[in-house]
Amino acid sequence: MAKTSVWSDNRFWQRSAAWITGFSAVLLIWLTFDTAGQISMGTDADLQNGVTKRVPGPTVINYKISYEMSTARGHEVPVIGEKEKFFGRDDWSEEEAGALLHLGKLGSQVKNCMNCHTLLGNGAYYAPDLTKAWLDPAWQNDGTMQAMTGKDTKEEAMAEFLQHPSTYPTHARMMPDLGITAEEAKGIVAFLKHMSSIDTNGFPRNFGKIKGAVHGK
Amino acid sequence: MFEPFTDIVPSFFGWLNQGPLTLTIFLHTFIILPMIWIYKQEKARLEKES
Repeated sequence: MAKTSVWSDNRFWQRSAAWITGFSAVLLIWLTFDTAGQISMGTDADLQNGVTKRVPGPTVINYKISYEMSTARGHEVPVIGEKEKFFGRDDWSEEEAGALLHLGKLGSQVKNCMNCHTLLGNGAYYAPDLTKAWLDPAWQNDGTMQAMTGKDTKEEAMAEFLQHPSTYPTHARMMPDLGITAEEAKGIVAFLKHMSSIDTNGFPRNFGKIKGAVHGK
Repeated sequence: MFEPFTDIVPSFFGWLNQGPLTLTIFLHTFIILPMIWIYKQEKARLEKES
């Protein structure tokens, strides 16, 4: 009797392929729903009650955001701290903050920020990664950008820069003037502040090694 | 080899992604082991038919 070979048998491969395809399909559908839960935005109540969400609610713009090294997780994690004024107010309601973020998100899309910058891992590396731009020490009180734009706060300096980027020599690759209005700039800054509060599992890597990025150290 | 689960939101997929071994063991369990089982079934069937 000739030795039977399972490897050259069609049914073995058909059944194996059906099993792997079916199993992977179930896994991917489950992953989709799991991801939807992970990236759903928190609420104002979550922020007030200290419920940790990967993506905090829009009213996170009322709070100070900093970065802290987590030894357990092996990377920096965003820390939502005490109240902090954003464009002179720390009482942005959920609707107002949401509308501002929405405007900023649309603004970032219509001006095609990703053509040069990276947002949450999407985009280009022609210009700096904006995922944690809000925490960049250059924009803080003793940073260069506030002095350059003649503004006293981080958000005002950012908004001023966004409206007239080509006025301020920042980089060999100068940002072009994109015709961003004052209101759009405000929205984009809110969008950037909110984005910096998203727990990205430490992305971008080594951000904390920038001097001043973690708690001003 | 196995590291403590530290993700912010507990999730099966977070657990799966804690290290390379967790994923390897998972995929071997759910893909390779059933294939061995299918192999044995098909071998028995072919031997019976021949």
